[in-house]
Amino acid sequence: MDSGLPYDRMLQKYLTGELRVLNAHLPGSQKLLSDLWDEEYPHVLCNDGSIHLFKRKELKYLADLIDADEQKMLSLPILIEVSAGRTEMAVLCPGEVEKKVIQKVLDMPLDVREGRISLYRPQLALVRKLLKTTTQYVFSTQL
Amino acid sequence: MSQLIKVTRPTKIELIKLRRRLTLASRIQKLIKDRVSILVMEFLQIAGQTVEVKKGLLDDFSAMYKALSLAAGYHGYIALEKELTASEGGLEVAAGLRNIGGVKIPAFELKKDKTTLRGYSLIDTSSWLDRTAELSEKCLEAIVELAELQRGMAQLGMEINRTKRIVNALEHLIIPGLQATIKYLNMKFEERDREEKSRLKRVKVLLERK
Repeated sequence: MDSGLPYDRMLQKYLTGELRVLNAHLPGSQKLLSDLWDEEYPHVLCNDGSIHLFKRKELKYLADLIDADEQKMLSLPILIEVSAGRTEMAVLCPGEVEKKVIQKVLDMPLDVREGRISLYRPQLALVRKLLKTTTQYVFSTQL
Repeated sequence: MSQLIKVTRPTKIELIKLRRRLTLASRIQKLIKDRVSILVMEFLQIAGQTVEVKKGLLDDFSAMYKALSLAAGYHGYIALEKELTASEGGLEVAAGLRNIGGVKIPAFELKKDKTTLRGYSLIDTSSWLDRTAELSEKCLEAIVELAELQRGMAQLGMEINRTKRIVNALEHLIIPGLQATIKYLNMKFEERDREEKSRLKRVKVLLERK
């Protein structure tokens, strides 16, 4: 895709860099709620080397929603997938605990399809309002 | 709007390159548009929370000063100052970052002292002072929360501005430019085909005449 014009090359690099920046903040690995609860400063290390801090208030809120066994299964941060050009977002649900948490936060029954719970923007706003640090956006580049 | 058409050489390879570039630019435009809408949603949410927290803080401040003036009236300034000098303590705030769609926003958390004692004598002081201390602790929490929210709002605002400029550049300059260049190349190739056809026809006529 290399063109002879330096401007085009620069544009190409810039656009690809922009794509890279979108998901640079993702955590290197998720941590269990039960493990985070024991940390003095609950955090995860992101791919770009930064530290994502969890708020104790939110961890406590989550811990109140589920029982002790489920706390050992809930991986944080919960990932919210944003696909280009789609009106709804999807919460990635590898297990039943994530589903239970989101159901309790929204106070409504939800369906899991292909490991994802579809949410509309007002629902997403509510989830993000209550779980500010315990959820993170993933920008899906597949089109 | 007229578009600048830049082609180094009108070849098929160049056309393929341009088509690929257009696909990439459209993909990125869609993604960035989504990112802007998410950032705007978060910005509005934080703005709403900021208003709420600020309002609460002002109410708490007014209640706190009211309780403090009552405590000062009850104990006298000198006695109150004596009690409060001993109660001075350090403040611990855990600071970190949280990420909203690639924007790093500060996250502060006031670390609470587990001891319930505030450092002043409970026997020599009244419940007005307890009330004042309770309200000032509440104010401190709100100040830390407000600092986080306001900084977050500023960061998000800057990022929204930056990203919107990129979206606009893609939408109004880069993509239309690429489309115009592709159209120009297509027209050029069609013209070449037509020229080729008419040349062949002319040659055919010349050959038939002979």
